[in-house]
Amino acid sequence: MTDIPAHLPHRYPFLLVDRVLEREPGVRVVAEKLVTNGEPYLQGHFAERPLVPGVLLLEMLAQAGGFLEAEPLHGAAIFLAGVQDARFKAPAFPGDRLRLEVDAEGAFAGLMKLKGAVSCEGRGLCTATLLVKRL
Amino acid sequence: MTDLKLRVKEMIIERLKLEGMAPDQIEDQAPLFGEGLGLDSIDALELVLGIEQVFGVKIEDEAAGMKAFKSVQALTDFIAEHRKA
Repeated sequence: MTDIPAHLPHRYPFLLVDRVLEREPGVRVVAEKLVTNGEPYLQGHFAERPLVPGVLLLEMLAQAGGFLEAEPLHGAAIFLAGVQDARFKAPAFPGDRLRLEVDAEGAFAGLMKLKGAVSCEGRGLCTATLLVKRL
Repeated sequence: MTDLKLRVKEMIIERLKLEGMAPDQIEDQAPLFGEGLGLDSIDALELVLGIEQVFGVKIEDEAAGMKAFKSVQALTDFIAEHRKA
């Protein structure tokens, strides 16, 4: 079982990975995020119809991508450097158990490219390619 | 222009989405980064991935990148040297 807070510096309310299901550093990570009614951003997005903002699905993929790094990220400066070909196919709602899949495409000079997909019970919600820079 | 150099230029244009640019508009000796084409570190990663995919040549580290990315000519020479016959 991966110790998430030991690896990622993110904390409530911005830690968006609950469990790591599969992990092969440098290759592939599958993680999970359970969307609860208590998520602070759902209060205002939207008042009548809570759904997870698309940008946060990208953030979930980026955080899951942090587990592609073999070493814990505490003390490391790691930034989102680019987002390509993001597609949002269906919204994520409170109660959804989101599956976050990231596959490393390659890395050069501290910059990593990864392909990510968010799904819920086999339904694809979001796909995107992310670039992450580590200093 | 040699075939390989032309293919390198086409790969650069396609991979970096330099729309509207023709291979003969890229000078052989112009630096790829900084002045010249003015590419950045994200472009460098895209090129590394493109070179591996199209030519089967790996640029292992920044030292190899420094050498290969000096110019289109340097990159063509690098690929010719490391490509499996």
